[in-house]
Amino acid sequence: MSSTHAPRPTSNDNSNDGNDGKDKTPGRSGATSPHPSPEALDLPRATGAGGTGTAEAQGSKGRQGRPRRRHDPTARSQTVAAWVLAVPFMAVFLVFTAGPVLASLGMSFTDIRSTDARHPLAVSFVGLENYTRLLGDELFRKVALNTLLYLLLGVPLTLVVAMAVAVGLNRVTRFKGFFRVGFYLPVVTSIVAVSVVWKFLLRENGGLVNSALEAVGLPGQAWLDDTHLALPSLVVMAVWRNFGTMTVIFLAALQTVPTEITEAAESDGAGAWARFRHVTLPMLRPTILFGAVITGIGYLQFFEEAFVMTSGGPLDSTRSISYYTYDQFGFGNYGLAAAASYLLFLAIVLLTLLQFRLLRSKD
Amino acid sequence: MTTHRPTTPGTSPTQSPTKTTRSTSKSTSRNRRRTLVALTLAGLTLSSLAACGRDATSAGGEAQSDAIDDSPATGTIEVWAMGAEGEALDDFTQAFEKENPDADVEVTAIPWDSAHDKIQGAITSGQGPDVTLVGSTWMGEFGASGGLMPTPEGLVDSGDFFTGAWEGNQVGGTQYGVPWYVETRVLYYRSDLAKKAGWTSPPQTWDELKQFASDLQTKAGVDYGISLQPGQTGSWQTFLPFAWSDGAELANDDGTEWTLDSDAMKESLDYYSSFFTDGLAQTHVMDAGELESGFADGTYGSFVSGPWHAALVEDAGVDPSDYAVAPIPGPDGPGSSFVGGGNLAVLTDAENPDGAWKLVRWLEQPDVQQDFYDTVGDLPANSTAWKSGDLADDEQLAVFGDQLDRAVSPPAVPTWEQVADVIDGRVERTTKGLEDVDQAVEEMQSEASSVGTGL
Repeated sequence: MSSTHAPRPTSNDNSNDGNDGKDKTPGRSGATSPHPSPEALDLPRATGAGGTGTAEAQGSKGRQGRPRRRHDPTARSQTVAAWVLAVPFMAVFLVFTAGPVLASLGMSFTDIRSTDARHPLAVSFVGLENYTRLLGDELFRKVALNTLLYLLLGVPLTLVVAMAVAVGLNRVTRFKGFFRVGFYLPVVTSIVAVSVVWKFLLRENGGLVNSALEAVGLPGQAWLDDTHLALPSLVVMAVWRNFGTMTVIFLAALQTVPTEITEAAESDGAGAWARFRHVTLPMLRPTILFGAVITGIGYLQFFEEAFVMTSGGPLDSTRSISYYTYDQFGFGNYGLAAAASYLLFLAIVLLTLLQFRLLRSKD
Repeated sequence: MTTHRPTTPGTSPTQSPTKTTRSTSKSTSRNRRRTLVALTLAGLTLSSLAACGRDATSAGGEAQSDAIDDSPATGTIEVWAMGAEGEALDDFTQAFEKENPDADVEVTAIPWDSAHDKIQGAITSGQGPDVTLVGSTWMGEFGASGGLMPTPEGLVDSGDFFTGAWEGNQVGGTQYGVPWYVETRVLYYRSDLAKKAGWTSPPQTWDELKQFASDLQTKAGVDYGISLQPGQTGSWQTFLPFAWSDGAELANDDGTEWTLDSDAMKESLDYYSSFFTDGLAQTHVMDAGELESGFADGTYGSFVSGPWHAALVEDAGVDPSDYAVAPIPGPDGPGSSFVGGGNLAVLTDAENPDGAWKLVRWLEQPDVQQDFYDTVGDLPANSTAWKSGDLADDEQLAVFGDQLDRAVSPPAVPTWEQVADVIDGRVERTTKGLEDVDQAVEEMQSEASSVGTGL
């Protein structure tokens, strides 16, 4: 099977030198020979199982092979062609992705403000001051806690609701499509429109939720005006809006669980819950991990719902890190805002690592 | 199968020991090279940043620009304006083009929502209009960034303008741009309900306002005697008029330090929050439209807002004879208010600054200001425009004109929006009864100090 890698003849020399491409990344060596000549392709095949030998030889001869290839005019023109073809992508990546990311990282170590817009380089380097200032800022600690609450309330709730609905839907035989579309609909609806409607539902006076509560004799609440209720209210709305995505994914995963296994468990006397708990759930572990990671990232970046429904209030009780960053950009504190977004980025990376650790399969 | 995947060096499990060590060393050397490149890049970025450094010169303090002569304007003058002004200005400036045949005014209407970023982009890139409309609270930021040109000496007579609006264009002692139109906050009240409650003229002092709100509730049956913003974004616009009426100064004269912790601030915040603790004002933040419909159906007896609310309450069904406006009461008589609006500024990188300032000068003339009021309904910033015509005769407008004479604009410093947010937050804590007034004002000051003024 050495032929799977070997046809990377970067020269028409003997097979040993031809293998010199091996110590390069596949992309690079692939690019240097987009159209290998037939003879070159044949050579490694002829050596057949001697692949290991060529690999060894490559180690000792690779360095000699490289300068020799430079004298090869075809290889050189191919290199040029490869670079020409790669340059548009690389330029776009460098200018529009890597550049801004690095620039914002640089910004987070300076005291740049909006008034520096005309002379963005005439700012002072302040080291980690923005970061220490954030960690010492009472408001930032509060929004970090809020964000953590969004995460801790939102992710499990979304996953549990999505799983429950998916299991239910998996058993529905009629109107399957109707239910699926119905549960998925909130996801594709504009988040701003959803937030505005929910804002009306949750109104203290005449909101549907309070009217319903009053109809059954319960006292209405100031859902969005109460510092303790506002954040959970937003989480409930976000769960309602987001669980559709995970439902669809869980549904797909549920259908990959082989019926033989569940049937075998059933004949062994396992009840419905035991089958779900000990057969279905373990098999869905990778899917749950995926779901936890993407919904987790979503809740860490919680913003629009709070922006539309509460403006971060009352008393900053629904303000998230993203919202704080948005505010700081608005105030013109670009350095501080960049630092805040990098702290959020760090949190997302750490959370993802943690989830991989906690939920990875135990084998 | 497994023998060969040496594309990633050093990962092949069956490679001979020599091979493994060799490729490992190769991969470390590549990693080392990569690290080196990354470090060099980072080093370059940091050193270039460190090398630049901030100039010692503080923002503002620029000299005014040289005077503009009286010859006709020439060349193309590019103008950016927002909202209704942006839509009307193109036709409106035809009169200017008639007076200055060699000049061509090109107006681009831009939406308010994106105006701040667009102007900032124009300032940063140097590619922008000659003249732009600037929201009054943005002056500090744009002025201090060096993107606006100081107003030429003697372009207009500062004495013709409402003082508060004129001072709102001064950043660090330098005048940038000229106020174009203004708005201010007054007290709107249901005159029919006030009559029922025994008030034939509006309240003028703090004590009277309190009594007025209470009478509206007890004698005229409204739910809330007055509606004031209990917190959240923009509540400073309702609260600060009371503080200014009591003599509070938010910053020192050259705008370098915040002076929020004054007795006047404490006294006025105490007065303001008493409306909430006494049940005279609602404590929840209202949804759009709630105030107007509540004013129409008698839920709210009065509120504080700007000139645009006249049309809104009439749309909501309030008969024009059933409501009236009055200056905001001060501690012992008519008080101060907040003045906002739009300023005309010329960009530092303007291609035609001469033509641009001539257009500004033309737009500021009293008769042109009156015409513009007739066209768009904007209240003129030039107070001499108020001395004749509709602006002089209309009873409701007279209240706004009177209020504008005493209205104040917040300090034009780059960090104003952030400090306004601090004030909003502390107002909310006080009106919710979570913090006593002394503590709130002290916190306001310490937070504002840590933000600084940006000058």
